[in-house]
Amino acid sequence: MITVFAVFLLTLLVITAVAIVRTENLFIAVMLAAIFSLLMAANFFILDAADVALTEAAVGAGVTTVIFLSALALTASQERAKPSARMLSVGVVSVTVVVLLYATFDKPRLGDPNAPVQQHVAPWYLEQTPELIDIPNVVTAVLASFRGYDTLGEVFVVLAACIGVLFVLSAGTSGGPQPVRPETPGLRHHLIPKVVGRLLVPFIILFGLYVQFHGEYGPGGGFQAGAIIATAFILHALLEGESAGLRAIPRSALLTMAAGGAIIYAGVGILTMLLGGSFLDYSVLHSNSVKGQQYGIIAIEAGVGITVCGALLAIFHAFAAREQS
Amino acid sequence: MFLIVAIAILVTMALAIVRALLGPSVYDRVLAVNVFGTKTALLLAVVAFLFGRPDFLDLALTYALINFVGVLAVLNFFQKRSSAAAKEKATQNHG
Repeated sequence: MITVFAVFLLTLLVITAVAIVRTENLFIAVMLAAIFSLLMAANFFILDAADVALTEAAVGAGVTTVIFLSALALTASQERAKPSARMLSVGVVSVTVVVLLYATFDKPRLGDPNAPVQQHVAPWYLEQTPELIDIPNVVTAVLASFRGYDTLGEVFVVLAACIGVLFVLSAGTSGGPQPVRPETPGLRHHLIPKVVGRLLVPFIILFGLYVQFHGEYGPGGGFQAGAIIATAFILHALLEGESAGLRAIPRSALLTMAAGGAIIYAGVGILTMLLGGSFLDYSVLHSNSVKGQQYGIIAIEAGVGITVCGALLAIFHAFAAREQS
Repeated sequence: MFLIVAIAILVTMALAIVRALLGPSVYDRVLAVNVFGTKTALLLAVVAFLFGRPDFLDLALTYALINFVGVLAVLNFFQKRSSAAAKEKATQNHG
């Protein structure tokens, strides 16, 4: 039954992807991309990857659509097709498809217990998590503790991506902080969005905090919580206008958050070194090593959440500032 | 019981995609995306119970809270674009 659901959703996914490529109207492409993201999240969920599905939900459903539309406001609404390059791209894509299809014959079946991925380190993680860290969600244990170096790298990638986007978007402008113009009304004049939105903002933030601090017990964690809380502030900025959004959290604070979260994460690593452990070995944070692991995970998840939230909001405001100039 | 509901929701999702692909107007597509978002939230809720993992309901809750933001961004996009078009028209008339 899982297979039937997954195949059905994947078929819809392929249809949507082909339609995104074929359409020349970029607004339609953005709308279809939103559907693509929803389908992807449903697929992750059906494959029992709840943490990934939650990330896709938090980023794909809200933030991506908003940022795509901000980008669309800066460019033309129609794609300019280059017929000369079309044959070449069709050729490259078909060759890649054939190679990938050929490669799938070597893949183990879905859920096969003898697959290499189930044999390597996964059994060790599943066995040791209750003993070493004692939290129910193994995904969080792997992400934050066993493979803490990878996650540290990801956080710095998010920070680097944020810096890159800000750098590209500020090219060609005068540089320095742009004056925020008052003529951004937002959706303040529309009664229903205003009332519903104002009601929703605090609850979205509350839910984001729940996802942040419940990550050890259920699906969730810093990445998801950061995206959800950023969505709440984006909703506020859409409703009240850009300038009100920037008054709530000024640009300098956003950049401090994006960099500060990464520094918190790295700082935990240095603290564990100062306490006599190795880098990001949280066991030394408390006399009881299991408690120490849990404290460490809470601290680095907070760093991840702060970075993601700051980076997403900084990118959103950078697009909006570019729109006005 | 949950299975029948899940299948019905999947069929509705397929119909929403058909509407999003065929259009014809932009508003049909916006509405299709909105319907699709709602159906995804419902599907996640039903499948969570179908698989006996009701704690995964968090995901459906995320969609229910966040879907609204995308629709508002679309509204804002068209509001900005129509006001920019009006401004352009006004300057053309002056010139």
